[in-house]
Amino acid sequence: MKPSHLPPRAGVGFKPEHFSEIDAARQPVGFFEVHAENYMGAGGPPHTRLARLREDYALSIHGVGLSIGSMQPLDRDHLARLKVLCERYQPESFSEHLAWSSHDTVFLNDLLPLPYTQDTLSRVVEHVDQVQEALGRQMLLENPATYLLFAESTLEETAFLAEVSRRTGCGLLLDVNNVFVAATNHHLDPYDYLARFPLDQVREIHLSGHSEATDDHSAPLLIDSHDTPVKDPVWALYAHVLERTGPVASLIEWDNDVPAWPVLKAEAEAANTLLAKARQRSAA
Amino acid sequence: MMNPEPGTQAQFAAALREADLPMPQGLCAWNGPDPARRFEVYRNNVRQGLLGALSSRFPAVERIVGRDFFTLMASEFISVNPPRSPVLLAYGEAFADFVAHFEAARSLVWLADVARLEWARGQAYHAADAEPLAATAFAALAPEALGDAVLTPHPSLSLLSSPFPVATLWAMNADEMPLAPIADWSGEDALIVRPHGLVRVYRLPPGAHAFFSALSGGESLGESAETALAAMPDFDLTAALALLIEAEAFIALHVRETSDAR
Amino acid sequence: MNKSLTALALAGSLASALAAVSVPSAAAAADKEKCYGVAMKGQNDCAAGAGTTCAGTSKVDYQANAWKYVPAGTCETMMTPKGGHGSLKQGPAPM
Repeated sequence: MKPSHLPPRAGVGFKPEHFSEIDAARQPVGFFEVHAENYMGAGGPPHTRLARLREDYALSIHGVGLSIGSMQPLDRDHLARLKVLCERYQPESFSEHLAWSSHDTVFLNDLLPLPYTQDTLSRVVEHVDQVQEALGRQMLLENPATYLLFAESTLEETAFLAEVSRRTGCGLLLDVNNVFVAATNHHLDPYDYLARFPLDQVREIHLSGHSEATDDHSAPLLIDSHDTPVKDPVWALYAHVLERTGPVASLIEWDNDVPAWPVLKAEAEAANTLLAKARQRSAA
Repeated sequence: MMNPEPGTQAQFAAALREADLPMPQGLCAWNGPDPARRFEVYRNNVRQGLLGALSSRFPAVERIVGRDFFTLMASEFISVNPPRSPVLLAYGEAFADFVAHFEAARSLVWLADVARLEWARGQAYHAADAEPLAATAFAALAPEALGDAVLTPHPSLSLLSSPFPVATLWAMNADEMPLAPIADWSGEDALIVRPHGLVRVYRLPPGAHAFFSALSGGESLGESAETALAAMPDFDLTAALALLIEAEAFIALHVRETSDAR
Repeated sequence: MNKSLTALALAGSLASALAAVSVPSAAAAADKEKCYGVAMKGQNDCAAGAGTTCAGTSKVDYQANAWKYVPAGTCETMMTPKGGHGSLKQGPAPM
């Protein structure tokens, strides 16, 4: 099984509108990440651009539609499409979410939460095994941003992820913004969450912005909106993670109200500064 | 429909799609049970995500009817025709037919054809790549072989025939032409193709739709010319051939051995 | 139809067509150059979309309110079918 091996540098979620600027000069970016499903057409400009990017940069393919957290069987057609995509571009990493997004034959187009029980654990383990076997590579599983909890849950999310990783050999994608969002939404201490997180299995980190709302009782409810710069408390959490993990490939995700390329590049440079410090620490 | 079992993903999924259904059972939050607003985040996200996918696939339709009306129409479409695949670039094929039967849009009888054109553009954008035939490939053909030449259409090629000025309607709402009253309200046929990086839309002269349909269907140049002439007596073969070359809509050519060849 | 006549007509038309289309390669070059820059938005995303925030997004019963909705946008500007089926200027629409 081919391990996930992104370079331990800052990466950026690729948006087609930035292509010309990215292509005009070498960018201070260690890798680009794309959403798998947007490259499942037969041809056309999306593939032209991705093939061009691939010549110069490491690549992470990030699925948003496999529905690994479904209680129903995985969509074999979709798995086959992912296999074709991974064979075509040979990405350094493939990742997906601890979430579900399809039911029956309907695609719900959101990363939906699941209860954490022995039942759901075995189902997720089964699905991750299937994915890794089909793709012939290690996959990374991402912690979700969640807005509510299930009364039936018996496992903590961190324990659930640790166990999936232990049983399947999958790596973990630690979304630090999701940690902050979910911890706030569930009235937990994000540092406490990280203390329980199996950081030794983290192969990639996600960083992004969120927005603020309130819940039924006027308590803060953060939304994983990917439409702003990374916020200060998330940068602080990230620095805290790097102190424990050492340098890890770190992605800036910005999917809504996408800014001009220099803004994204500056975010990546901010991450690179923290990664450089982590490298110095590891060298010392 | 049977009521889904409480606490299952089936119940969660049903409640996401139907705003009238109660929130699924078994959900909670740190500060109390029945986190309705929290569940509403997921419900809205499903809805907004799919609306966004349709609005970016059918921008001219949205511009024509305005955002509020589009939201209404697309929401209805999503509820009766949700995506059946996680690949959203393939979502919306049935939208044009839905628009055609959408009661509130009945006054815009031509709107569905604009949606058909936009769908064709999206398909062309994502179609397989193939190098189009160069003009020299036609120039190199012996005159007597021309009639038996059979062409392979580009994978992105599609044709649209409308009793309304569909190409003009689309172009005016896609910033390809200035927006203005359409004085000559005649039917238009369109050819949609992406030979390289850009999707092109050509408005076809009379008879050219029949000509290109026949060619794409595997008829030879000679047969296709006859088909077009039969369909439209004032079919202009020269104009159609010029368009065929300019549009770069075909990728291969071979001369068919005729049965009476000696 | 007389096959040889068709062949002649075809050859003549093709010669005229080839002469008329002198610059297909220019369009192709422009296409290739612009291809990278022109993007149809990717459809799949993993962020919570605009309007997801529960604040301000109350349940709206669109069905019940449907009577209120009439198409707005640009349709009024264009819905002026007049002049019957006169001759339409032909040619490729600008793209």
